[in-house]
Amino acid sequence: MIINKREKNSVVIFDIEGEIKRSDITDVTLHQLVKDQLETGKKHILLNFEKVEFIDSFGVGEILASYISTHNLGGKLKLARISKKLFLIFQVTMLTKVLDIVEDEETALQGFFKD
Amino acid sequence: MAKNRLSRILSRVVDIKPGEERIALLLFSYFFLITAPFMIIKSVRDGMYLDELGADMLPYAYATALLVGLVVSFHSKLQAKISRKLLILSSLAFFILTAVLFFLLFPKVSKGWTWLPLIYWIWANVFVVVIVTQFWMVVNDVFNPREAKRLIGFFGSGGILGGIVGGVLAWQFAKPNQSYKLLLFVLALLAACTVCVWAIFSWLKRSQWVMSGGGQKPGARSQEPQQAGFKACLNTVRMDSYLKLLAAVVTLTGIVSTLIDWQSKRVFEHWPTVEKNLTAFFGKFNAGLLLFSLIFQILMTSNLIKRFGIRLPLMIYPAILLLCSMGIAGLPILLFAIAIKGSDKSLSYSVNQSARELLYIPVAPEKKYKAKAFIDMFLNRFSKASVGVILLGVFLVVPLRPDRPYLRVQNLRVQIVSLVSACFIFVWIFLNLKVSKEYVSTVKEKLGREWERGDRIVDRAMDVETAKLVFDALESKNRSPDLYAMHLYDLLKKDKLTPEIKKLVGYESDEIRVASLGVLMEAEESPWTVHPDEELPPEVLQKEIREIMELDSYHQLMNGFADKVIQEKGQDAETAKMELAKAISLMDAGSPLAGRLDELLRDESSLVGRYAMEAAAKFKAREHVPLLIRKLADPSTREDARAALEKYGAKIIGMLGDYLEDPAEPPAVREAVTSVLAGIGTPDVAEFLLQALAGGQEELQSDLIDALDKIRSRTPNLPVSVEAVRMLIVKEVVHYTHEKKPSAVINIFKLLGLVYSHEDIFRAYQNIQVRTKDSVAYALELLDYTIEKEMRDLIFPVLEDFTAANKTV
Repeated sequence: MIINKREKNSVVIFDIEGEIKRSDITDVTLHQLVKDQLETGKKHILLNFEKVEFIDSFGVGEILASYISTHNLGGKLKLARISKKLFLIFQVTMLTKVLDIVEDEETALQGFFKD
Repeated sequence: MAKNRLSRILSRVVDIKPGEERIALLLFSYFFLITAPFMIIKSVRDGMYLDELGADMLPYAYATALLVGLVVSFHSKLQAKISRKLLILSSLAFFILTAVLFFLLFPKVSKGWTWLPLIYWIWANVFVVVIVTQFWMVVNDVFNPREAKRLIGFFGSGGILGGIVGGVLAWQFAKPNQSYKLLLFVLALLAACTVCVWAIFSWLKRSQWVMSGGGQKPGARSQEPQQAGFKACLNTVRMDSYLKLLAAVVTLTGIVSTLIDWQSKRVFEHWPTVEKNLTAFFGKFNAGLLLFSLIFQILMTSNLIKRFGIRLPLMIYPAILLLCSMGIAGLPILLFAIAIKGSDKSLSYSVNQSARELLYIPVAPEKKYKAKAFIDMFLNRFSKASVGVILLGVFLVVPLRPDRPYLRVQNLRVQIVSLVSACFIFVWIFLNLKVSKEYVSTVKEKLGREWERGDRIVDRAMDVETAKLVFDALESKNRSPDLYAMHLYDLLKKDKLTPEIKKLVGYESDEIRVASLGVLMEAEESPWTVHPDEELPPEVLQKEIREIMELDSYHQLMNGFADKVIQEKGQDAETAKMELAKAISLMDAGSPLAGRLDELLRDESSLVGRYAMEAAAKFKAREHVPLLIRKLADPSTREDARAALEKYGAKIIGMLGDYLEDPAEPPAVREAVTSVLAGIGTPDVAEFLLQALAGGQEELQSDLIDALDKIRSRTPNLPVSVEAVRMLIVKEVVHYTHEKKPSAVINIFKLLGLVYSHEDIFRAYQNIQVRTKDSVAYALELLDYTIEKEMRDLIFPVLEDFTAANKTV
């Protein structure tokens, strides 16, 4: 899994590539990357899932932990460009009840300041 | 340069912030320029009325207060239709013109126009009710509660100073039968007031001052359509319990104050040293009592309110009046008349007025103006009018009779009025207690919860464990049919294999039926894929599997399998070990195969470890705890290990504590152990974490505080020592003072939440984070009422510095 960070309109965007699985872990976890941003005062986080093929229970834990850390500080975490297959699994497992999942990056960026 | 000098001078006298100097001085002058003419008008009013009509006619004068209600209604309508600036300037113009008229007509009183003092009485009442209310409306527009609380003493002093000047002018220049000439001073002062009001609005516009109350600018109409007629104002009060209480308090204050007014005037009217020039006496008396008020205001009001909040200042006023009322009942002499009237007016203008205006501040702006119009303008007058009826009742009970000495009858009337006052004061004190309690609730209402804790949202909205199981089931599908089958069985056993999940994990069978699931067809179809729809009935399946797992031969076979795979390396062996670990997790705690878990927990693969930890969490064997704790060091196994350890519960607190306190352990392990303890969350854990904090675990300070905060959010009645928390807050204050780290502020709030209402503290924190001018002010106001003085003194400098450094918007 590869995670690249960029910023747009004071929103931190993480472009994730590969599978978020415990068997495919990098030196720093996604949650740790999000926490690092929160510590610097950045509270708007966007996870770009365009190149995410699949996630396992570890990935679910990472996403939820990132969501909780962001939310507890009054920030917002959104997911964009998630595949239809993953979205369906998110729906069935009710992750969509918690996570703010939007179609594309532009909608997500607007959403951070509209809400 | 001049601005800096002004700021320096003012900051010595009053707690004023940079940028507030000019508006504060202008408002100080505004209040001065309305109370100075009013004190002259009032001295002329009282002197002339007693001279021409006498104290026995005062009930009729009080009753005319009802007429003021009509003016109030008219004023309310005007208030809704025209801008604040136009309203105030046109009111001032009206009073200037009518004062000229009275100046021209008063000489006719000696020619038989004895009713003119009564008309003048009404005019004077209209003057005070309209002009003073308009002043407080401007204050409420410009400042939020926190700012107002800080500056209210300063504005009040301006009013008192104006009153003293007006009183001295009346005292020095009033001549018997020519007191109306004092109206020339009134005209000059009102003209100056007009200039001052103009300057205030011009400055506010120029400086683009951010208004309180949702940014509604004075003069601008509310966003909502306002119906500020009498009925709308009445309904606003009627529909709101807090405003109803305020209304009752104001009514009782008015009744008691008017009863006292009559008692004192009754004594003054015939007191030999006073009766010759009543206007001059009232001028001197008013100036003297306002001087006392000014000293009281400067030295006491702001401090009283800042130190004790609203409750105590609200209590002082009625309590002192009660004492004085008892005094004048026993001895109706000049000394007591001066004491009771002096106490009433001095406390009314200082402590009571300031505290009462603060009570209005948390009321929503659209309600506030209507309520203020009704309560201050109408009810206050109505209470005075009702005293007219009460007094006429007393006169009926104790009539003047030729066979009774005049003064004896009047003294008896004064005594009865004292008893009536005492009854009203008792009710008034009770309502003051109630209204001050409601004030805090109203401030809380203002503080909306900006966001909810993320963990609570997740807990409420979904079942994380099942979601993870589904993801693992899907993941296992491409890895091993056995592992996949075990996941399905696990879901079935946990009664989580809902039709939706069944369709999701067994997608081939739904291919034809559910077109929308076509997106899942990306994975290559495996010939061995299990079809959940075609399985045996769940209860039969469960029974059969349980029976197999209880067989000795099964265990012998599986042990052999374990012997073989545990030693092996490679991907196939990894899958086999995952299957073995998953199978063990499906067995009961006493299963002989549980003994192989130790080896599986030691396996290097995080995938094997994930299933082994699942099994360990189920069996809760103490010997596995060190292995699980080791796994906290690795990011790929940390979350699974944390979840497994959490399931052990309170029985491993001691073991976890050893790791937490061991500085040789990696920081990641100690942090994760803290998180596990937070998850266990019993009162014992909280006590242990507090001890660890007090013991100086500096590097874990924030994690330990966060853990305690999590526990407290789930356990509202968690017993925590205030003293221990105070010591920890002192540490955080020192951190903030030295390093200015925002994390110290967050920690302070989390620590406060341990000993005060977690909900209130969380709200206050969120509103400080939102950083609008009003949200910060209301948050500090809530903290003011929630936490004890000692704690306030400790943290308020930090919060004020933090909010000043992180500019509000």
